Amino acid sequence: MPMKPATARLRFLAAVLAYAVVTLACLWSLQAAGDLSLGRQPWRNLQTTAIGFSHPSFLDAWSGERRREYRSDDGTLLRVEDRRQVERKFLAALAEATWATFRIATLGSLLAALVALPLGLLAARNLHAPRPLQLAATGLLNALRAVHTLVFGLVLVGIMGLGSTAGLLAIAAHSMGTYGKLYAESIETLDMAPINAVRAVGASPIQVFFLAVWPAVLPQLVSSHLYIWEYNIRDATILGMVGAGGLGLLISEAVSLFQWDRLATILLVVVALVALFDAASRRVRKALA
Amino acid sequence: MSPPAIVLRNLTLRVGSTVLLDGIDLSVTAGERIGIIGPNGAGKSSLLKVIGGTAPGHVTGAIEVLGRNLALPLSRSTQRAFQAQVGQVFQALQLVPRLSALDNVLIGALSRNRSPLSWARLFPAAERDRGRQALRTVGMEALATARTDRLSGGQRQKVALARLLMQQPDLILADEPTAALDPAAAAEIAAQLASYARGAGIAMLTVVHEPALLPLLAERVIGLQQGRILFDLPTADVSPRQLATLYGTVADPLLVTSRPK
Repeated sequence: MPMKPATARLRFLAAVLAYAVVTLACLWSLQAAGDLSLGRQPWRNLQTTAIGFSHPSFLDAWSGERRREYRSDDGTLLRVEDRRQVERKFLAALAEATWATFRIATLGSLLAALVALPLGLLAARNLHAPRPLQLAATGLLNALRAVHTLVFGLVLVGIMGLGSTAGLLAIAAHSMGTYGKLYAESIETLDMAPINAVRAVGASPIQVFFLAVWPAVLPQLVSSHLYIWEYNIRDATILGMVGAGGLGLLISEAVSLFQWDRLATILLVVVALVALFDAASRRVRKALA
Repeated sequence: MSPPAIVLRNLTLRVGSTVLLDGIDLSVTAGERIGIIGPNGAGKSSLLKVIGGTAPGHVTGAIEVLGRNLALPLSRSTQRAFQAQVGQVFQALQLVPRLSALDNVLIGALSRNRSPLSWARLFPAAERDRGRQALRTVGMEALATARTDRLSGGQRQKVALARLLMQQPDLILADEPTAALDPAAAAEIAAQLASYARGAGIAMLTVVHEPALLPLLAERVIGLQQGRILFDLPTADVSPRQLATLYGTVADPLLVTSRPK
């Protein structure tokens, strides 16, 4: 039964009010706990950080000092380093870590895409899988999606030790939930009219699949795969922080040593990687639309 | 006299406790073109579905279509062979999007081509030629390689028609084939459909939502009301009064004469 406009408006107003109350409660409790502060020297720290970021470390690989001398307070020479050589070594390590990250994301996404297929088929409501199986599949997909990749990473590193395999499986475990849900949704929203029409000319089930179902779902499959793949490239950059391989290790190193110039280099690489992938995937999706 | 294409005796269709078709008696000979009219919910589409072998509920009575007894369930392979014999035309949206017009036309011949190559849309050259021929017949040869989701509603329905030609059915069941089209395109599609049925000498049953199209599509008209046949007459004998009774409206002479453009 449709609500009267006045009632509907009152309910909306009540919802807005409830939202305001929740926000204020968060803000008030933050203040009460004394956690609402920008630190002791926010301005000076911001300046140091900004200066570090403004000179990304990769520049030194070509324009750095040949001889940088490190001296103690009384002037004794501690060590001398060739900045160019040091930063070139770092760039080589960065390239390797970037490839490792891409590898984790790529293999993890593919593994998830394949394993999630049967789960998605079971979860799709219009395919009428047996009720207990459907509920189990939906529950499993939701659970996998609810647990963050990083948590899977921590657990898996504990089980199989440091390295890329743990990262790859962590990516796969979380993404499986996303894939399964997207598969189920694209099956549920499938337009049945053309499919029924192909069936109505007397085509065999396998012909119906290849000539009516497959052309309809292919663009959706490819586009969700590319989307999750890209998402996983970003997720995989963090995984190294828990020892699961890739760029994350370099990030946490740079952060804990306050090497903002190096962090700037790493982030530039991450941004470039994601932008490149996005450009490529957009072309593929456009060609398939 | 040619053998009957369709014989229905005391046909009743129930879904749950609702009676959709109630004691239908109907005999259609090959080559006859029949229009089915009636208000919403009269059972027009249900009647077509029963004749097409996909009854949406529980059926009693005798149903014989193209010499097959549909009162008994068909085996899967017989069902497919029967579907290949029956050409179905629906409202728009029945073509596979993203495939070319020609590929959609070739789908019509799938029942005669069980080769696994067909899964990859690889069809014999002779078949492709016949597909192009069918597109030429409906005036769509120039758009053979165009994706069907880029075509207009009228163009799509022409492609669907070409697919029907490719299928070479022994009976045509058309459910409001011109519903989504403008008047000019509707008349063109209706004329092409009727001329194919006439040329092939096969029976055609069309659910018509616009009485103005009846003279194009049918020589005999069946008026359905609440699952029963209200009248069964030659098209020329259907009067505005009968239409008014059927639809429960005041007689409107505009309904039977051609619509002003």
